Formats: sequence, structure tokens, C-alpha cells
Amino acid sequence: MTDIRAVRTDLSRIRRRGPLARFGEAVLRNLANLKVLLRYPSAIVGLTLMTVFILVAIFAPLIAPYGPFEVTYTAERAVIRLSAPSMNNLFGTTNQGMDVFSQLVWGSRVALMVGLLSALGSVLLGTLIGLFSGYFGGWIDEVLMRATDVAFGIPFLPFAMVVISIAQPSLGLVILLVIFFLWRTTARVIRSQVLSLKTRPFVWAAKAAGAGHMKILFLHIAPNVLPLSFLYVAIGVQTGVMLEAALSFLGFGDPHVQSWGIMLNAAFQAGAMRTAWWWVLPPGLALSAFVLSVFMITRAYEELLNPRLRSI
Amino acid sequence: MQGFRRYVIRRLMLLVFVIWCILTIMFGLFQLLPGDPTSIFIDSNFSPDMIERQKELWGLNDPIWLQYLRYIRNMALFDFGQSFFQIAPVSEIMADKVKNTALMIVPALVISIVLGTVIGAIAGWRRGSKFEQSTVATSLFLHSAPSFFVGILVLMVFSYQLRWLPPGGMVSLGGPDGFWEMIVARDYWVHLILPGLVLVSREITGPILLLRSSMLEVKGSDFLDILRAKGLPERQIVTHATRNALLPLVTYIAVMTGLLFQGQVLLEIIFAWPGIGRELVQALNDLDYPVAQAALYVMALVTLALNFIADLLYGVIDPRVTYE
Repeated sequence: MTDIRAVRTDLSRIRRRGPLARFGEAVLRNLANLKVLLRYPSAIVGLTLMTVFILVAIFAPLIAPYGPFEVTYTAERAVIRLSAPSMNNLFGTTNQGMDVFSQLVWGSRVALMVGLLSALGSVLLGTLIGLFSGYFGGWIDEVLMRATDVAFGIPFLPFAMVVISIAQPSLGLVILLVIFFLWRTTARVIRSQVLSLKTRPFVWAAKAAGAGHMKILFLHIAPNVLPLSFLYVAIGVQTGVMLEAALSFLGFGDPHVQSWGIMLNAAFQAGAMRTAWWWVLPPGLALSAFVLSVFMITRAYEELLNPRLRSI
Repeated sequence: MQGFRRYVIRRLMLLVFVIWCILTIMFGLFQLLPGDPTSIFIDSNFSPDMIERQKELWGLNDPIWLQYLRYIRNMALFDFGQSFFQIAPVSEIMADKVKNTALMIVPALVISIVLGTVIGAIAGWRRGSKFEQSTVATSLFLHSAPSFFVGILVLMVFSYQLRWLPPGGMVSLGGPDGFWEMIVARDYWVHLILPGLVLVSREITGPILLLRSSMLEVKGSDFLDILRAKGLPERQIVTHATRNALLPLVTYIAVMTGLLFQGQVLLEIIFAWPGIGRELVQALNDLDYPVAQAALYVMALVTLALNFIADLLYGVIDPRVTYE
């Protein structure tokens, strides 16, 4: 008797929580599972590097001696142009007398923001499209997948350059464009996963128990594709930062923020590759280190999800 | 075969549909331009009368649906109009720039594929060896490194510091002109070394990783044991295995070329290579919109065409694929 009562109260507790809360729990459970990543040495290196970047971004105002566009002067009020690294300017200055080290520090904020927003946005969009497309099939699938085909047919960098030069360059637009570019892969991958998931017995069981489409989709299928979505968040951070840097380097970045790509563009335009290595190397190396750290985390996570890769 | 034909037709219809969608998006985009083309092209000395005449000539006073239809027709026929700044039809400029881009991509691709196949096959065959481990680690590293920074680095070291190689361009000033003259000229190859190297360093990772993993799969198959039982030397067995492992590479090449086309823009800017990507950046800076949209369109077409070929090849090469 007591047993049955216990089960009953348990059941009612489950029912009382709303579907949204239950979906949220699935997300948290998957996040908690990421602890396993710490068993991979490459993930530890990547996470350590990423922590450094995050700390630098958070404490940027304390670390950076100057503002991102602040011109530095000597005691005689002369602009310090193209000075090599010194005690005053750790990584030297640009041709306009701005402090390279400070720009680098401020740039980490832009990189993190672009990476996170574009990754989350694209994965949210891609996952939703993949879920609906795969689960409902029929004309919904047809429409969504043809849209994906069109998105795949557009070469990203050229397209983004045209859009930016028609509109005004801004960081928000760059992030939107990156999202527009990234969702397509996530959508296709999630869709094929859903196609296989929806034939599994637990979905029949849910249907037999009288669950509606939305309930099946978000409570039974979505939690199972979450690990894949997380993987694409990581890949998205990497690609997003790279694409922003590439666009900025080509001169299509937001002129009001100081990102690593914009620093590289300014250095390239000023011919610093000949004269001022201290201006070129820091943003390039920071970008490479950032991308590499995400990549190491991604790689470990991929191995976790797909043991067949685990041969290195 | 019936199934295959139906598949090709379906795929072809999809291709046309996607191209139409992209064209429509582009038409909409260029409609959003502030003002109209006359405000960019015509300088302030023109009288309102002349501007009106020019507008009439370009059909800018027609209803929008007529402009749209004309636009689609012109694009389909590769009639891109006149450049605002260069005295040449845009289609001629495009042909020239695509050729220049190909002059960088094709040699780099050939090297990447041939060398990548060999290295990947060896790595897969010698699973667990030091060679395999270092190859995979290096490839993964190169694959994720931002290639435009790699480009800047090699430029700084080899052109500016060591002065071994020219810092950019496709040929020296007054160098060889014309396609055949150029590809036999030493000057062109010297200019190609640096951008080619950067391209290869990234593109080679695809074939290496792909061939390694497909080799791992082939390695376990029974037919290799039969060859061994026949007493074939190990070297020939590797050749047989590689031929089977090559299947996935064929489709990968087409996809790879399409993607490569996009990253090309960055390398062309860094190395001042007069290809289509650099043309696009310049056209956008000069507000030369006929050139800009033609460049975007051509890049999209090439990407789509290559993907299409990849899809078809997939079925032709691998008999296990069915089209039901």
C-alpha cells in the first residue's frame, strides 16, 4: 500500500511541473553532464584558456590602461605613434598613437559577445527548424528544407559584405549575418537526428499515453538532441568569432568597436606588416588562441559524443 | 537507372529554384540601396533632364515587376551591364577575374588532393603509429587556425623580413600577360608560392582526415586478406585498399572547392591577387554595384554547381546508393 502511495505522489509531483520547467531541467541535466569533459586533457587546456579570456573580458576596465580608442601621449603632450613595446605601452602603439595592449584587452569583450550571441542564436534557430522539419515532415519539412537549401547556396563572406555595404556596418548586423549563415548546418543535423528519434518506441509510448505533438516534440525528442545542439554552440562560437574577424579584416566591421579583426584591418591598411610587428601579432595571436581553445573543447566534446573518433 | 534519371531531374529543378531564390534576394537587396544608381553614377554636373534621360535608358522608371523580370532575364543570360568605373562590360571583367582566381585555386587544390590523399592513406594504414598521431594533430590544428592570419604571418616573414618572395600580386609589373604565356612563366609561379602555400596548408587537412578515416574502415575488409593469401606484396595491397578508400573523397572535392571559393576573398586581399574576391571588395568600396552583384552571383553559381556535381557523383561512383 505504502509503495503505491509513494508512486502516486511521485507521479503527481511530475505532473505539477509545467512542460517548460521540465524542458529546462533537461537542459540543466545536459549541462551538468559536461563535467565529463574534464577527463580530456585537451578540454582542460581549452577550458583554461577560455577562462583566461572570460576573466580578461570581465575585468577589461581594470586590466586595460587605456580606452579602446584613447590616444596616448608622452609627458610633452606629443602623440606616441608607432612606438615599439615599452613600459608605458606594453605592446607598443598604433600609427594613431593608440595602445595595442588595451585594444587587445577590449577586443576580448567583442569576441566573447559575438561568439556567444551568434552561437546561441544560430543554434536556437537551427534546432527549432530541425525539430519541426524532422518531426512534422510533409509540407512543413519541404518548406523548411528548401529554405535551408537556399541558405546553403549563398556564399557567406561575399553575401555579408554586400549586405553590410548596403546597410550600415554595425556589430548587431554582423551577428545577425553570422546567425543567418550558421543555422543551416545545425538544422540539417538536428533534422536527421529527429527523423531517427521519432520512430523509437518511447515516442510511440508517449503518443499512446495521449501526449500532444508539442509535448512529444519538446519533452521527449528535444532533450535527446540537446547534446548535438551543445556541440553546435561550441562550433558556432568558433565560427562566429572567425567570421567577425574576417569581415572586420576586410573592412566591413563596426567602426565603433575595437575587435581583433578591426585591429588587424587597421594594421594591414597602415602597412604595419613591414614596420610594426607588435601591432600585427597580438590581435592575430589572440584570435588564433581563442579559436584554438574553443576548438579543443569542441574536439573533446565530439569524441565524447562519437566514440569512433576516439582514436588519436 | 530510371530512379537515377528522376533524381537528376529533381535535383536540377531544385537547383533552378535555389538560383531563382538567390536572385530574388539579391534584387531585393539592391532595391534597398539608398537613392538609385543614378545618384552614384552621375556627377552633380548633370542637369535634371539628363538624369531623367539616363533613368529612362536604364529602365528605372518602369514598374517594379518589369524591372524584376528584366533583372532575372539579364542575370540568366549573364548580361550584367556596364561597370560604373571600368570601361568594360561586367561579364568580361568577371570572366577575367574568375580565371585569375582559378589560377590560384586550381594548383593549390591539385597539390592538396594528391598530397593529402597519400599522407592520409599512409596515416590510416599505419594506425596508432607516431606518424598517424602527429599527422592527425597537425591537420586538426591547421584546420582550425585562422588562415588569413597565417597568410599575414608568412607575408611578414618571407616577403618583408627575408625578402625571398614578392609581397603580392599575380605577376610583376610588366610581367607576362595572357593565360598560356602566364602559366609557363616563372614569374607567375613565384608569385603563387606564398598564397598557394597558405591555401594548401588549410585545404590539405580535409583529404588527410577523410582518407585516414575511410582507410581505417577499408583496412578491416575481407578482400585484403584474399589479396594477402594470393601472396601480393604489402605495397600493392595498400594500393588496392586506397582505391576503395578514395570513394568518399570524390564528392568531398566538389564540396571543398565550393567552400574554398568563399575563404578566397581574404587571401586575395592579403596577397593582392586580382581575383573575383578582391574585385568584389573593390567594387563595394567604389560603389560599383553592377560589378558587385555580378561577383556575388558568380560565386553563388559556382558554389551551387559544384554541390550539384558532388551530389550526382555520389550516386555514379558508389553503386550502393539507390534512388528510391
